[in-house]
Parts: sequence; structure tokens; C-alpha cells
Amino acid sequence: MTRRLFGIGNPDRGDDAAGIAVAQAVVGWESEVRNTGSPDMIESWFPYDEVVIVDAMSSGAPPGQVHVFDGRRDVIPSGAFTSTHSFGPAEIVALAGVLDRMPSTLTLYGIEIGHTEFGEPMSAAVQSAVTALAEELRRA
Amino acid sequence: MSDDTREISVDYLARVEGEGALFLKLNGDEVEDLRFTIFEPPRFYEAFLRGRRFSEAPDITARICGICPVAYQMSAVNAMENAAGAVVLDPIRELRRLLYFGEWIESHTLHVYMLHTPDFLGYPSAIEMAGDFPDIVTNALRLKKLGNRIMTVVGGREINPINVKVGGFYRAPLGTDLDALKDELRWAIDTAAETVELVAGFEFPDFTMDYEFVSLRHSDEYAILDGRIVSSEGLDIDVTEWGDHFEETQVEWSNALHARLKERGRYHVGPMARFANNGDHLTPVAQVAADAAGLRPGESNPFRSIIVRAVEIVLACEEALGIIERYVRPDPAAEAVEPRSAVGHGASEAPRGLLYHRYELDSSGFIADTQIVPPTSQNQASIEEDLRAYVRGRTHLDDETLQWQLEQAIRNYDPCISCATHFLDLTVERAGRQ
Repeated sequence: MTRRLFGIGNPDRGDDAAGIAVAQAVVGWESEVRNTGSPDMIESWFPYDEVVIVDAMSSGAPPGQVHVFDGRRDVIPSGAFTSTHSFGPAEIVALAGVLDRMPSTLTLYGIEIGHTEFGEPMSAAVQSAVTALAEELRRA
Repeated sequence: MSDDTREISVDYLARVEGEGALFLKLNGDEVEDLRFTIFEPPRFYEAFLRGRRFSEAPDITARICGICPVAYQMSAVNAMENAAGAVVLDPIRELRRLLYFGEWIESHTLHVYMLHTPDFLGYPSAIEMAGDFPDIVTNALRLKKLGNRIMTVVGGREINPINVKVGGFYRAPLGTDLDALKDELRWAIDTAAETVELVAGFEFPDFTMDYEFVSLRHSDEYAILDGRIVSSEGLDIDVTEWGDHFEETQVEWSNALHARLKERGRYHVGPMARFANNGDHLTPVAQVAADAAGLRPGESNPFRSIIVRAVEIVLACEEALGIIERYVRPDPAAEAVEPRSAVGHGASEAPRGLLYHRYELDSSGFIADTQIVPPTSQNQASIEEDLRAYVRGRTHLDDETLQWQLEQAIRNYDPCISCATHFLDLTVERAGRQ
């Protein structure tokens, strides 16, 4: 069983660093850090059985709340994830589905964020969520 | 607003980088007002750089854009080396070009295949297009991955490379690391050439503009890393003279500064400008592909920019393969650069066009002042003029069709609004409509 974790975010923009922070903290996973989601992630995950994506999310829930989506089953809310060129996790997963390039399991974790100011550290609530999710993935 | 007035509002323009808006007011067939607005908040990078070491500029400015970080790094290192009076040797310069071509492949592929082709084939996005044209999309993913691999091997990682420094690189890749890319590049050249043929067959609006094309020009090669700033109207200046000929102005409806030529106003940067000024330096397969597509330097239909971008993907792959085949590992990987009290200017060709940096350094190498002029802010006036001209003979179109075509006209530029200061509310107000 091969598995790969993608952490997406901007390390210089406060809570937006959450996905990257999880990828850097998690142990036991082959992980990849990206500043932005990109469709070529499909090429990168294709040989893997289990894929996890962690990204910042803004749905109006309290900062630090973690949303979990089954990429093969759930409808992923496009607008709640930040993305460039309108190609965020929701679109990438949808494209993989159309191209029949889904891994055996694909889980998307969306960490609810608060502030995204340049140069600011992550908030305590988001940092706490990062630590807990990294530990959960380590034990998975 | 009178009963005859029609208004169209779109909350978000898809398939561009960033957030902005377009306001269009029509009075009958007359365009009364048109504003291409960038409302992404200013990012204050220029202020953020003041007081930082000269050596930090490449890594800090790379954060401005997740799509074209290498462009920011290259313009920054060019400027810092200009300030220090340093010139890097050819092996380092070649490695920089290889890294940069990786970024062109990645960025152009995303735009040509995933963002722009759906416009011409009539799909709302690449996802719907993938159902009917899976080969186009899977080729795009493979090409983009190749660009990423080049960025990873040379730049240390695929996004925001960490291996670039003033004077060269922290570590030069081994020849064997680069050799592993050769077979994929050969596939990419053929695939990209087929793509030129594909996109050249699209149906394009009958629409041309009178542009002054501004880009770098290099005497020996298709300019990407360095060269003189030239234009189709005869401008031919050293990069250090940018401020003598160009200026940035604030417009009340946008958070991005508009750049203009002091003497002649708006101008056009990007693939069509590069092709206009460097068309004699196409690589062999790119030349054949351009010829077969009927493309000539000076092409001025902005909708046909997709063909130029596709030709530039071919060129980037050929150039990358050539650099790898000639590769001599730089030793050392970087030359020592000692800062001095000076002003440094640097420019390079980002995927979307000319990217100019200016830094004022103190004697200890701390940054006192910075100016960064990204391509999208240079094209902003040109985009507005395109839209204004495009609407003029097409006011009879219904709102939905007009909106779709105007959005496509904006996507011709692959605007990166995040760089320029995110995009798109569209409002069309029609006064006096019968």
C-alpha cells in the first residue's frame, strides 16, 4: 500500500499555512508541499493507493475546525477552498474522476482558517488543529 | 437607470489568477465607460523588502506568485547582480534558463490546455472538456508534470524554488539528474507541436489591434532571461533605462498601477510581444510549427495568442533539451557577489511578459527602495482597450454571449492579478437601449 500526502498553502500568510504545516509535521507519510493546488497533482498521485490532501478552508465555521471529505463519494465545496486559476481541490478531484485517475482512497481535509495576513504566524486554534491532524495521520 | 438600461453582473471570472471586476456601460452602440478593475488588495511587497538583505530578494519576491516564482527570482538576481557589477558565467546562465523554461512549460501548459482551450471548444471548464477530450487533458497533465520536474531538479522544489541565489545556485544538479529528463522532453516536443496544430485550427474572431509590442530581445536567442528592452515601434534600451521611458500611474478604479510608455501610452507585453520581437530566434521545431500554423511575428489578433503560447511551449522544450545535452555542471555553483551602494535594474520574460525589478541598495547590501512592475499591470490598459474595441461592433449580442466573449478576451492575456496586486465582477450597463 503506497500513500502520499499533499499539503497546500502559503507559509507566509497566517492560517493559510495549515496544509503545509501538516505535511511538514506528519511522520510516516511521503509528503509533498505545494503553495497552490494544481491539476498535475493527479499525475503525482496516480501511482499511489492512498492519497490525502490537506488545505485551508473558509466556510464560516470556527477557525481550527477540520472538515473531512471522501474524494470518491462526497461533493467537495469549490468556493470554500482558496485556489489559483479556479483550480482548487474540488476541481482537481472532479477532473481526476472524469479522467478515471482516482486513487483507491482519496481524503481531503479542510482546516477552517481565520486570518491570512502576510508575515503573521498561524493562530493558536489552527496550530492546535494542525498538531492534532498530523498525529491522527501518523497513527493512521 | 432608465427602463432602457440593461445591466449584466458576473460575480467571478473563471480561469484567471486572482480577483477583479469589469464594468461596462453602453449607450446604444456606444461604449460610454469601461473599467477593468483589479480589487485584490495591494500586497505591499515593495515596502516589505525595504531593510532586508539584497540576498533575500529572490526568495521573498518568489512568494508574490505561485505560478511564476522563477520569473521573480530571475528578475531579482539580475537586478542585484547589476547593482553589484557582477556577471555570471555561461554555465550558471544556462542553468537559469533551464529552470525558467521549466516554469514556462508549466505555466503555458496550464493556460493553453486547461484555461483557454475550453473557451474555443465551448466548455465551461477543463473538467467538462476532459469528458470529451481526455487525451488533451492527460497530455496537459504530463507536460505540466515535466515542467514541475525541471523546476524540482534545478530549483530544489517545484513551487517556489529554493535553490536560486544571487550569483547562481546553492547546488548545481548532476548531469545524470538532468539526463533523466531527456526522453520526456523529446515526447514533449512532439506533443507540443501537435498542440500548435490543434489550437491553430480553432475558430478565432475577426479582430486585430494596433499594439506596441514590448519585450526583451537577445541577440542570439529567444529572450527569456535577459536582453535589451525593445518594442515594435523602435524602442531599444538597456534595462537600466526603464524609468526613462516607462512610468506607472494610479487609476481610481484599480488597486494595480497602470504602466505606460511616457511617449506613447499603452503597450502590450507577453507571448505575442516576445514573438514579434524575437521571431527570428525560434527553435527548429517551433519554427516549423509556427509556419504550419500560419503564424507570423507581429500577429495582432489577441485571440490567436493561444497559438503563440503553444509555439513557446515547443520552444521551451527544445531549449530545455538543448541545455541538458550541452550541460556543463557549474563549479562553483555560484559566484561570490559583493553588494555596494548602488541602484540595480533587472528584467526577464515571465510567462505573461516583461517583469522589471529595481532595487536601491546601501553600502551594506540592505534594500533601501524597490520597484516591481509585473506584466499584468503593464497589460491592464491594453486589456481595457481590447475590450473597448471588441464591444464596438458587437453591441447587438445578447448579454450572455457578450459576457462570455469579453471574459475570453481577458483570458487572452492569462492575467495574473495576484501578481498585479485576485478577479471578476462584470457589470454591463446599457443606457438608451431599444
